[in-house]
Amino acid sequence: MSLIPLLTLVRKDLLLEWRQKHTLFGVLLYVGATVFVVYIMNGQPEAKVWNALFWVIQLFVAVNAVAKSFLQESQERTRYYFTLVSPVNFLAAKMIYSIVLLLLMSMVSLFLFSLLLGMPLEQTGLFVLIASLGSLSLSVVFTFLSAIAARAQQNAALMAVLGFPLVTPMLMMLGNLSQKAISPVYQPGWWGVAGTLLLLDGLVILLGIILFPFLWKE
Amino acid sequence: MRQSWWKVLCVLLLMYAVAGGILLPVPRLDIVNETIRNLYFHVPMWFGMILLFLISCVYAVRFLSSGNLKHDLYASEFINVGLLFSILGMVTGMEWAQFTWGSAWSNDPKQLGTAMAMLIYFAYLVLRGGIKDEEKRARISAVYNIFAFAMMIPLIWVLPRMVDSLHPGNGGNPGFGAYDLDSSMRLVFYPAVIGWFLLGLWMTTLRIRLRIIQFDEYNDYPDRLKNETNV
Amino acid sequence: MRQMYKRTYLTALLLMTFPLFLRAQGQGTEMADLMRSNGKIYVVVLVLATIFAGIIAFLVHLDCAIKKIERNKKS
Repeated sequence: MSLIPLLTLVRKDLLLEWRQKHTLFGVLLYVGATVFVVYIMNGQPEAKVWNALFWVIQLFVAVNAVAKSFLQESQERTRYYFTLVSPVNFLAAKMIYSIVLLLLMSMVSLFLFSLLLGMPLEQTGLFVLIASLGSLSLSVVFTFLSAIAARAQQNAALMAVLGFPLVTPMLMMLGNLSQKAISPVYQPGWWGVAGTLLLLDGLVILLGIILFPFLWKE
Repeated sequence: MRQSWWKVLCVLLLMYAVAGGILLPVPRLDIVNETIRNLYFHVPMWFGMILLFLISCVYAVRFLSSGNLKHDLYASEFINVGLLFSILGMVTGMEWAQFTWGSAWSNDPKQLGTAMAMLIYFAYLVLRGGIKDEEKRARISAVYNIFAFAMMIPLIWVLPRMVDSLHPGNGGNPGFGAYDLDSSMRLVFYPAVIGWFLLGLWMTTLRIRLRIIQFDEYNDYPDRLKNETNV
Repeated sequence: MRQMYKRTYLTALLLMTFPLFLRAQGQGTEMADLMRSNGKIYVVVLVLATIFAGIIAFLVHLDCAIKKIERNKKS
């Protein structure tokens, strides 16, 4: 896995995103709308509801952000890349791009949440860490699935359908983890859950590296 | 696939499981009472499902290494029957829960985990349905098959163990005390698991043989099977 | 005739004294050998019936598919 092609690809994707800011506007739309509507209808929610809302938003942001990673490449351009880089490089570049993008977007959404809905957290730093872990997990899973969806039907809806059953348990684990940041209740299995989540991410990355070359060839 | 010995064995094991399951003595426990006999029928559905999905994954790997479309056919039929078993397992589980836990669905982690597993494989069917080109469909669904199986194992095994659950063997619950089976139940349980799995295998081989006939017909007489969508 | 009625009556009376022996049970967990009409055995029956129905549905589907192929082959 050579570094220069990898970094070039990541840089290209990030530049494209920066020039058009599709994802940023999408995030602003989702988060802004949700935060505003909830605030108008319900005032500032209590901690558990806040947590649930945040993770639902994260899910939609992830689908929106990562869907474009493979699906914006047309067939012809993908064939062009096929001649230039190795499949592992390509997948790694897309994953790194998704992780970086989603990290930034989750910080943005966290900021917007705190503006109107307040921040009913005991340990903010821990929550930021968990949000980052969440971004990592979601982006890695959705990147690989968007690769499959791009090959199958060029359809973002397919990616969501494939992703939902895999991502829901991850979200449950993340919601579980963030309980610690919300209320200072002692949770005996916390590190176990965090470790499991990291292992799952590692598993997805490993599977992606092994399986992507089969998707890659026409 | 066309041999009879294991089919005869299957029938014998299942007759033993059903007869023994109903008649042989079981431990006397509160709340579950006689329904503990469901252990011989509900649980093997899940064991059968996992084994069938495992075999399907193996065939997916074999397809990716060989390119033989028949392997892809085998993989997809094993998933079809595995999904049937999972539906039966879920429905029987809900029936059992209705009369012992009080309600059919209680957001129990094992129930949720297995529902997710079912959704993962239904998504496989959706994926297959959307691609027309045979070779492409086989390759993409093989990749998803392997990915899905590798993700499903931790989700079903690890998650429920970490959380308190109503299911016997996890956390505190009404029902069994510990998950070591009474030796009188083991006598019927293990043969039952083997018997139900062999039944699933038999059902799958029948479907595979049917698909092979359709496959061959399609290649010999493509006009006749114009209306068949899922060759 | 009278003798038969008397015998039946006495047998029924004898059988009705059975519950008196149940004191030997102890904590009184209900099982089917005590009372046939305990609802919970029927849950097992329900589970078995469900699985059987699923298998029969599979067989019917298979039968139709084979019938279609045989019809195609004949034409």
